[in-house]
Parts: sequence; structure tokens; C-alpha cells
Amino acid sequence: MKQIVITGTRKGIGRSLAEHYLALGWGVIGCSRGEPSIEHAQYRHYSVDVSDEVAVIEMARDVKRQFGEVDVLLNNAGIASMNHCLLTPGSTVNSILQTNVVGTFLFCREFAKLMRKAEQPRIVNFTTVAHPLNLEGEAIYAASKAAVESLTRIMARELAELGITVNAVGPTPVLTDLIKGVSSEKMDALLARQAIPRYGKPEDVINAVDFFIRPESDFITGQVLYLGGVT
Amino acid sequence: MPKAEMLIMPNSEEVETLVIESVRLLAEDFDLAALQQPNSASALYGNEGVLDSMALVNLIADIEDAVSEKFGASITLANEKAMSARQSPFLNVKTLSQAVLERIGS
Ligand SMILES: NC(=O)c1ccc[n+]([C@@H]2O[C@H](COP(=O)([O-])OP(=O)(O)OC[C@H]3O[C@@H](n4cnc5c(N)ncnc54)[C@H](OP(=O)(O)O)[C@@H]3O)[C@@H](O)[C@H]2O)c1
Repeated sequence: MKQIVITGTRKGIGRSLAEHYLALGWGVIGCSRGEPSIEHAQYRHYSVDVSDEVAVIEMARDVKRQFGEVDVLLNNAGIASMNHCLLTPGSTVNSILQTNVVGTFLFCREFAKLMRKAEQPRIVNFTTVAHPLNLEGEAIYAASKAAVESLTRIMARELAELGITVNAVGPTPVLTDLIKGVSSEKMDALLARQAIPRYGKPEDVINAVDFFIRPESDFITGQVLYLGGVT
Repeated sequence: MPKAEMLIMPNSEEVETLVIESVRLLAEDFDLAALQQPNSASALYGNEGVLDSMALVNLIADIEDAVSEKFGASITLANEKAMSARQSPFLNVKTLSQAVLERIGS
């Protein structure tokens, strides 16, 4: 049975991803700061903050003991804060960078070590169209995802020798709690900048992830795939 | 979250034995004639070391696993100094064993 590690599975896109891979018969190892929201014989939850280095190492050790190898890692956990740069406190900057950048990095580092013997080891990171679109009000969020893209490209090279591909998917707005504070006028203006001006659905993200992790995609690494026709 | 089993604080010989065994297994996997019978002085990475970066990454992960299994300690050998040639803990079996012992103790 394939084992997939997905961060941020309590709600939102992460939860949809977990349910999708469970339905395909995979073993899903999820995490979030809060309590699990999925009950399934093949689902295992860790209540871990992705930016807590010690906790991430402990989690990886436990996964190794319980499941051995891991096939896929999806670094989905992420937070955002929409605000003008002049109104953004330093504490917000730190927490966004901690979760989005440090968290992604730590999971790549610890779980790549558990993928060395997997047949088609894959990592997929999560970015956003807010970065290429240079969206006002999202300076820190977009900058954190720019860092994730850079990590993706460089780790693709460093981990190629272990046979691991590292790619990133960049969703357009998807109606989850992440964007619930943003006004509908702002959202409409944002959607209008996409080639296909509609909200994304979790299935759109799942489709892109499926493409990156399928066995035939072993020659695809270091790539960032934006949805909705954003380039 | 489940914690690792009870921590057993090993002495330096026990750690060195574990490192040597990990190097020996790696040498088998990677067909490294020079490290077939490793000892305390065996060079690993940099200078006269025979490991390439791929083999080094594998060795580090193997040792982290072995330490967790044997001594119940979750360590990571990532270190600010790790890759700088001069003080690298990866120079030889002895320096690496010292680094592992320090990590378990910290
Ligand atoms: N929704 C969008 O419009 C959109 C657009 C582009 C990109 N994305 C990206 O897609 C990913 C998922 O977003 P989403 O919309 O599903 O967000 P969401 O609905 O807010 O869910 C975020 C998930 O991540 C977990 N999480 C947050 N911080 C964490 C931390 N420090 N440690 C562990 N888990 C943490 C949350 O659980 P806990 O609260 O229990 O920790 C939750 O399960 C993110 O990387 C986001 O940047 C989303």
C-alpha cells in the first residue's frame, strides 16, 4: 500500500486531498495543529505544528517505526494574512514564514529521508497565484510562497540524486477558511485576472497533484504549475 | 503525539560502534572498497573521504534511524557547521561519532 504524508489535513484543501487518497486505497498520514477531523482505518493523524522542528523530527521517527517508507509528501499546510504592508505586525510576518517556509522545509528534510527506498518518491509543495500576480495586500503571504517556489526548484536538484521529484502547485482562490476574510469585490477583481475566471475547486488541486505524483511523471521536477491560466 | 521510547544515554564507544556499523552497511550498499572494514580513523567526506554527497545523505539518515532505534533518541545531524570543510563532523568516523554523541546529549 502506498503511504502519503499530507500536512494540514484538518480542513480545507488538505482534508479533500486526504479523503481523495483514502478513497484510492492509500495509507494517509496527516497532521495539523488541531485535532483530527477524519476517521478512517487507513488514516493516521499527528497533532503537530509543521514549524516545530523537534515535533516534526519526532513525527518522522514515529512514521518510520509504524509505516517504514513513505512514497509521497504533500506540503499543504499554510496560512495567509491579507493586510497592507504598513499595517502588518512583525509577529504576523514571523508566523506566516514559520508555517509556510520553515514548515515546508522541515517536512522536506525529514521525510525525504524516509523516501529513499520508495519506488516513485514525490514531493509536492503548495504555492499560490498571489505570487505571480503580485497581489496587493498579500505581500508577506506571496513572499512566503516565493520562498517555497525557490525551495522547490533547488530541492528538485538536490534530491534528484535520491530519485525524488519536487514540484509545486499554485492554486487560484478556492473557497476555504483561508480566504474567508477577503471581500467579494476583491475576489471578483482577482478572478478577473485569471485566464479562466472562476473559483478553483479542491478537485482542481487534486488533479494537479495527481499529475505530479503519477509514475509517468518521473521526468518532471522543479516545476511550478499555476491553475486557472495564471502565468 | 507518541514519544520515542525511553532515552538511553550511550557512551562514546557505543556510539562509535553504531557509526562504524552504519558505515560498513553503507559501504556494502554502495560498493565502497575503502570502507569495507571501517575503523575510528576512516575518512568519510571531504579531504581523503570516499563518500559522495549522495552516500553521505544516506549515511546520515541511516545513523539517525539507528540512533533512534537503539538509544530512543530523535536526533538530526543537520548543523550550521555541517558542510564547512574544516570543522565538518563528517570528516571521519571519530568526528562523526563525537557529533552524534553531542546531539544525543543535547
Ligand atoms: N484556499 C485558497 O484560496 C488557496 C489559494 C492558493 C493556495 N492555497 C494554499 O493551499 C494550502 C491549503 O490552504 P486551505 O485553503 O486549505 O487553507 P485552510 O482551509 O485554512 O486549511 C489550512 C490547513 O492547514 C493546517 N495548518 C495551518 N497551520 C498549520 C501549522 N503551523 N502546522 C500544521 N498544520 C497547520 C490547518 O489545521 P490546524 O488549524 O488544525 O493547524 C488546516 O488543516 C495552503 O498552503 C494555501 O497557501 C490556498
